Amino acid sequence: MKTWAVIRREYLERVRSKGFVIGTILGPLLMSALVLVPALLARSGAGEQRTIALVDPTGRVLQPLRERLEQRMQEGSRGGSRYTLLPVTLDGRTLEQGVGELRRMVADESVHSGLVVAPDFLETRTISLYVKSVAAMSLRDELRPLLNDILREARYREQGLPTELREYLAEGVDWKNLNIGGEGGEAREGNDSAFVVAIVLIMMIYMMVLMYGSHTLQVVIEEKSNRVVEVLLSSLSPGRLMLGKVLGIGAAGLTQTGIWTLAFIVFTQQGISLGSFTLDTSFLTPLIWISFLVFFLLGFFLYALLYAGVGAMCNTLQDSQQFNFPLMMGLVLPMMLLGLVLEAPNTPIAVALSLFPLFAPVLMFVRVCVETPPLWQLVLSWVLMLLAIWLAALAAGKLFRLGILMYGASPTWATLARALRQK
Amino acid sequence: MSSRSLSLPLRGQPVLSVRDIHKSYGAVTAVRGVSLEIPGGSIYGFLGPNGAGKSTTIRIIMGILLPDAGEVRFAGLPLDGALRDRIGYLPEERGLYRKMRCAEQVAFFTELKGVPRREALARAGEWLDRLGLRDWKNRKSDELSKGMQQKLQFAATLACGPDLVILDEPFSGLDPLNIEVIREIILEQKAQGRTVIFSTHMLAEAEKICDYICLIDGGEKILDGTLDRVRQDFPQKSVRVAWENGAEPPDDLPGVASCRQEEGSWRLMMQEGADPQRLLPLLQEAGPLSLFAANRPTLSEIFLAAVSRRRAGSRATGGETR
Repeated sequence: MKTWAVIRREYLERVRSKGFVIGTILGPLLMSALVLVPALLARSGAGEQRTIALVDPTGRVLQPLRERLEQRMQEGSRGGSRYTLLPVTLDGRTLEQGVGELRRMVADESVHSGLVVAPDFLETRTISLYVKSVAAMSLRDELRPLLNDILREARYREQGLPTELREYLAEGVDWKNLNIGGEGGEAREGNDSAFVVAIVLIMMIYMMVLMYGSHTLQVVIEEKSNRVVEVLLSSLSPGRLMLGKVLGIGAAGLTQTGIWTLAFIVFTQQGISLGSFTLDTSFLTPLIWISFLVFFLLGFFLYALLYAGVGAMCNTLQDSQQFNFPLMMGLVLPMMLLGLVLEAPNTPIAVALSLFPLFAPVLMFVRVCVETPPLWQLVLSWVLMLLAIWLAALAAGKLFRLGILMYGASPTWATLARALRQK
Repeated sequence: MSSRSLSLPLRGQPVLSVRDIHKSYGAVTAVRGVSLEIPGGSIYGFLGPNGAGKSTTIRIIMGILLPDAGEVRFAGLPLDGALRDRIGYLPEERGLYRKMRCAEQVAFFTELKGVPRREALARAGEWLDRLGLRDWKNRKSDELSKGMQQKLQFAATLACGPDLVILDEPFSGLDPLNIEVIREIILEQKAQGRTVIFSTHMLAEAEKICDYICLIDGGEKILDGTLDRVRQDFPQKSVRVAWENGAEPPDDLPGVASCRQEEGSWRLMMQEGADPQRLLPLLQEAGPLSLFAANRPTLSEIFLAAVSRRRAGSRATGGETR
């Protein structure tokens, strides 16, 4: 019952705080902004209007490029800029003079960039792009496929290929993304947004564990510095006090995550379809939701206990910085390794990393999202995490008992180790 | 309080026994074999200079620190978590949640003593009313003045209706008006049959209200007992004397160690064991007396003498003093 009183106090204090209310409302808003803004931008075509100067002595590029740019814009598949071509005619001038004028235009920024087609384009395939800033280099990736197309088309024409054959040769692949369900069942068509959804969930676990885990550190240090802890310890044991705190803060975290997840589901279920952009949540199987909850809870408890133990040894937040860093790395490192695991989720190294209890909340969960790892691996990671939590609780309990009334000198790694070795 | 079925010992029987407790922090010994018997229904003053080991002893009683050796018994039973619920504790370092509402706060600490929430809230209300904090119930504690925060902490200590109240330096940081309020509360607790232990170095306050005192220094108990008994046993007495004609005390008075002038009279400090009554005729020879009073030693005289005697003694025997 005493533990319950601590849980309730801790929970209510969190949930009633301004920070919690603001965070709970702002979270989904920011999240939707992250997804919506680019989509809206792409849809409204609100991108920049960019002019590309073009010197085309062959006369083979201007028209087809203009057509293709227009067609691409109508499809609206890519957000960003609209391009217009401004031909620089030679009118009896030499090519050098034409290029000179184009360079001046780029230099004084009257155009965004300049393209120069070599006179012997069909043989040498040479096209030069003049830009003023390195940022404009991304243009190359946008224009290159279009120009490749134009070159191929021109060469077919030159070789006198019949129209049907030319069209046949020009066809690209018809791309479909198919996800295989865990049961080896039917294949479903998916798209990139499934990946976006998975990333959002992983970020949510990562952020909540980091935020609420480190919150216990602050709470413990605060209670120590305002000396409430002595009154508390005269009424209940350090272990129950710590348990109450961690559970109370965890419940607050779960409440916030719950609200966010709900917002997320509503947001995606409402079929926010903007142009070609829809969020596909069909891949979110019950297993993913269960894993989400389990990894959130286990991850939170593991880190919260470690943070609570460290907090008990420290007098100020500054004291805790040195211990904070390695704990933080436990969460940041898997985010950095995310790419590695995403690319090859089943390699021994990925499996090993995802079983490591400190990394599991992020790395094992990401594996659950991108493919379904063997059930034994999932269960093993949960067992290992529970084991780690048990060890963390023992260590934290010890640090709590020894450290909570220790004031004065700021602790070092040596003090920490000594405290852990003590009976 | 039906859940508390244990019958308390009668008035005068020990409610709390501390038996030979020791506590060191590394190389520093804070408490060295302290034993106490605290009689039920009494006000027990736990006195000593700063760093004497008072707070460490109290923390051991409250289970916040574990002793290296020794034990604490409550009403004859080993003191455990459930029994500790019957002890109200005001720590030396006051601790309140700054952002928590006053009534909630008192109720929370009361709940931690095993009182159901609803009742805890009701009692919190009563105590805040009593201490003149009625209008502050729903304010956060950091909006309160320092004196009010002290009172709030008192409410948090007492609202659980403890059988034994332990107050560590209850008067520190209070103005005379609030000291009076707290003194009244302590006396009222006694009147209700509760036992109050308080530590202080404000000896004048202790003298006014204590039935029993215990003096510790350097982690060791120097003396304890009822206040009267301690005074009687104190070997050094003093006499206050004044003459109508403003005469001065004659030299070579037998049994007088020293004399000094204070507030229009003279204070003669007697040597140990000397009888002040024998002075009277000698003093009268110097002129007609306007004042002759064989003074009871003040607690602070006893305190100073006992501490300096102990320190001199332990130096002489080569013992360490801290």
